[in-house]
Amino acid sequence: MVRRRNSPLRRRLPRELRDELGKYLVIFVLLVLSIGFVSGFLVADGSMIAAYNESFQLYTVEDGHFLLPRAMNKAQKRAIEGFGVSLFDNFYVDTGLTNGSTLRLFAQRQQVNRACLMKGEFPQRADEIAIDRMYADNNSIALGDQLSDGTQTWTVTGFVALSDYSALFSDNSDTMFDAVKFGVAVVTQEAFSALDRTQLNYCYAWGYQKPPADEAEEHQRSEELMKQLLTEVEMEQYVPRYQNQAIRFTGEDMSGDRAMMLVLLYLMIAIMAFVFGITISSTITREANVIGTLMASGYTRGELLRHYMTLPVWVTLSGALVGNVLGYTVFKELCAAMYYGSYSLPTYVTRWNSEAFVLTTLVPLGMMVLINLAVLVRALALSPLNFLRRDLHPRRRWKAVPLGEFLPFFTRFRLRILFQNASGYAMLLVGILFANLLLMFGLGLPECLDHYQASIETNLLSRYQYILKMPLSAMDEGHKLESVLSMLSFQHAVETENEDAERFTAYTLKTLEGKFRSEDVMVYGMEPDSRYVRVETGEGEVYISSAYADKYQLQIGDRVTLREPYEDTQYQFRVAGVVDYIGALALFLPREEANDCFDLGRSYFSGYFSNTELTDIEEKYIGSVIDLNALTKVSRQLDVSMGSMMNMVDAFAVLIFMVLIYLISKLIIQRNAQSISLVKILGYTSAEVGRLYLWTTSLMVVVFLLSSLPLVYRMLTVLFRDVMMAKMTGWIPLDMGSAVFGKMFALGVGTYALVAALEYRRICQVPMDEALKTVE
Amino acid sequence: MFLELKQIKKSFGQGETRVQVLHGIDLSVEKGEFCVLLGPSGSGKSTLLNIIGGIDRADSGDILIDGERMSQMGEKKLTLYRRRHLGYVFQMYNLIPNLTVRENIEVGAYLSDHPLDVDELLHTLGLWEHRYKLPNQLSGGQQQRTSIGRAIVKRPDILLCDEPTGALDYYTSKEILALIETVNRRYGNSVLMVTHNDAIRQMADRVVRLRDGRIWDEQVNQHRVSAEQLEW
Repeated sequence: MVRRRNSPLRRRLPRELRDELGKYLVIFVLLVLSIGFVSGFLVADGSMIAAYNESFQLYTVEDGHFLLPRAMNKAQKRAIEGFGVSLFDNFYVDTGLTNGSTLRLFAQRQQVNRACLMKGEFPQRADEIAIDRMYADNNSIALGDQLSDGTQTWTVTGFVALSDYSALFSDNSDTMFDAVKFGVAVVTQEAFSALDRTQLNYCYAWGYQKPPADEAEEHQRSEELMKQLLTEVEMEQYVPRYQNQAIRFTGEDMSGDRAMMLVLLYLMIAIMAFVFGITISSTITREANVIGTLMASGYTRGELLRHYMTLPVWVTLSGALVGNVLGYTVFKELCAAMYYGSYSLPTYVTRWNSEAFVLTTLVPLGMMVLINLAVLVRALALSPLNFLRRDLHPRRRWKAVPLGEFLPFFTRFRLRILFQNASGYAMLLVGILFANLLLMFGLGLPECLDHYQASIETNLLSRYQYILKMPLSAMDEGHKLESVLSMLSFQHAVETENEDAERFTAYTLKTLEGKFRSEDVMVYGMEPDSRYVRVETGEGEVYISSAYADKYQLQIGDRVTLREPYEDTQYQFRVAGVVDYIGALALFLPREEANDCFDLGRSYFSGYFSNTELTDIEEKYIGSVIDLNALTKVSRQLDVSMGSMMNMVDAFAVLIFMVLIYLISKLIIQRNAQSISLVKILGYTSAEVGRLYLWTTSLMVVVFLLSSLPLVYRMLTVLFRDVMMAKMTGWIPLDMGSAVFGKMFALGVGTYALVAALEYRRICQVPMDEALKTVE
Repeated sequence: MFLELKQIKKSFGQGETRVQVLHGIDLSVEKGEFCVLLGPSGSGKSTLLNIIGGIDRADSGDILIDGERMSQMGEKKLTLYRRRHLGYVFQMYNLIPNLTVRENIEVGAYLSDHPLDVDELLHTLGLWEHRYKLPNQLSGGQQQRTSIGRAIVKRPDILLCDEPTGALDYYTSKEILALIETVNRRYGNSVLMVTHNDAIRQMADRVVRLRDGRIWDEQVNQHRVSAEQLEW
């Protein structure tokens, strides 16, 4: 039996690794970081999604809830339960704390929406409270601290995650959750019963007695339930679970992030694989004689192919393995902390994620093998004689691109380097686009949020918008006389002496469900000659806020169709103007017309615009106040959730940028080592050689940096809009100011300068005998 | 004397593997002189050429060119020395592969304040028709002519030729030798040519034979034979 011996060529591998340590090291580091981060992310994401999904059953999360103006009676309850659902009291009280935030208090729920205890213990006494872990983090509240709403004081005994509040949305129509100024908490039944009953929110959670088979059935049953509920009770809010942002947002966000991370990883691997491909093809050119000799001596193409594939495959494999180890240890914690920094998730157990292993190890390895194989099969297809004669393009005789002699010699020289390395520069362009996209995201988002916060301040319709709350008695159709009296008293009570105040009608409609989910649009009925928004529209015409126009890309003359939140009724309006208002998606039309349109009664109004605080209206009649604080909730929360991540994104982008420039310029210098050596022999100084061989890369970097900015901005705008449409209600314009572009350019040039200094050193080190020892 | 070599010594390696390549070479070349360094492989002729060319340093000894001492030159001065005084012609041409014939010659022209006219030189070298071609589109002879063009365009004082016909056939070799001869006569550069082809000695003013790193024989030709008449 003939024993097959190992190819002696493999002894070259450690030497090749040592000679090209810089190249392999940076690629290895980049692979470890990207694979490690993505693997850590997938493990954390998978484990947390599993914990999140299991929480539905583990903590009996509701199938939906509705809010009533008063408690249901037993008959109503029975009737509703007759529709195939079980009802549970889910009452709560929102209380303003002395620290300026709002806490939603629940009694400890035993049957539905149970809490996960993260630390400490559940309250045992009436003066004890367990609060949401993330709210506690964001407000630096520790166990044993005291919370007070001015009348009552509780001692914090535990940190919890409420299964129906994994994202802290205080209102389902909010653009974004707010884990800084809003939190949830549980108190004992005894403590809850002692709370002010007038502040009680009569919320009922339901669970289907026979769970729906799929999402479609869930939607259908929810629609039916809503219609049936309307025949029984008067609802203020109806939120099936699939529409409940506080429950769904977390899961959707985590799933969306996963897809984005994988796309980023594969893009990264593809770039690295192409870089390997280009360097391999350059090595083959350099070693053509050796390859020719080996082939002539009887080495097969397969043996050579395996030889040249070995290092890229080993580097990728070891990068993937080290990356996975780091992923399961360091990066998993980092990513879990990121999620815990945004969401109130229950505790999770790390799960071995075989899919993550495949996606972060086998897929990158496969990509690397395939791309390199394609390059190598093509490159090694030539005959030994072609290699020996260094005739690597036998079917294609390269002709020189004609360059006008009027161009200075150096310019022509540099252009020739550009043509010679076109594939490398193309890769650099892709890399710069990718890195700049990350960088623009990392630098631009905080700027965009800051800009939003700043511009919303100057962009308010009025400093305060008061939305009035009609007493329940005014709406009691069972007692007409009392209801009319109550309404009259309400109208009297909400009169104000403040001259700044201007009445408006507020009404909420929803966008139609389509590719993206439906969201609230606020309709403002404005006074004629309003001081805040002057509306001059014809019949069926409206003005829309710039936020609405931007998000849905609407223009004057377009038609918008909106629907009633809990009915099938639809309304169509023609856009007659755009009001510069980024705070919300809104429609503006004359108050009289709005009242007619929604059948509210001629004199109806439901709020005030005012630039000064209204002090002469009793608090119980004020439902909410939309002020700067309320409008900047989104940007504040995004800042808290993503702020820390942005620095990491920036650093990663700079690293990618640096590695790619390093590899490409190294490749160019390597490819031209002989020519560099030769011109040095001829008497060119290192500075002149640098000017010849680095200038082209410098120019390309500057051109790519500058030209990528508008392109990347365009790409980010499209991605940003898609994310906003898919994930968030409301709108934040992607307005990051020109400073970001300046910063990106400066970072790019600064990074390049660093690499160029290294490369210049490399040029100086090219020995003059290089030109003498290698045969052309 | 334009170029003077005094006791040039050079060795490679260390300890037991140390090999003495040059054992104290003394040599003088006049301005405009055609000098041929003859010798078998390993005789040290290419090493000597590299030291004269400032690519390599001698362990001891000195080179004087136009009165300047090479041993006292730093890297910058050495670069300037190569720039001002030397033109190089290699056995394997060493053209820059992504530059055209004309541009390869311009690489040399750039280094001089008063270079030869490139177009005129292209005609002289018989490369006018090929000026926009890349090196891989040329024959060996055409490539070597380009290489000579690159070397002489900057009007060097000394033309260093390292086996310029080593990779060429008989006829092309004669063509190239004739060209070098023309250059030497027309432009008055000193030529220092390394070769192991004994026949070439006849076209030189001075012939220096090297063996084992020593000058074994040195003779002056009273009558140079033109390249066309050489036979081997």
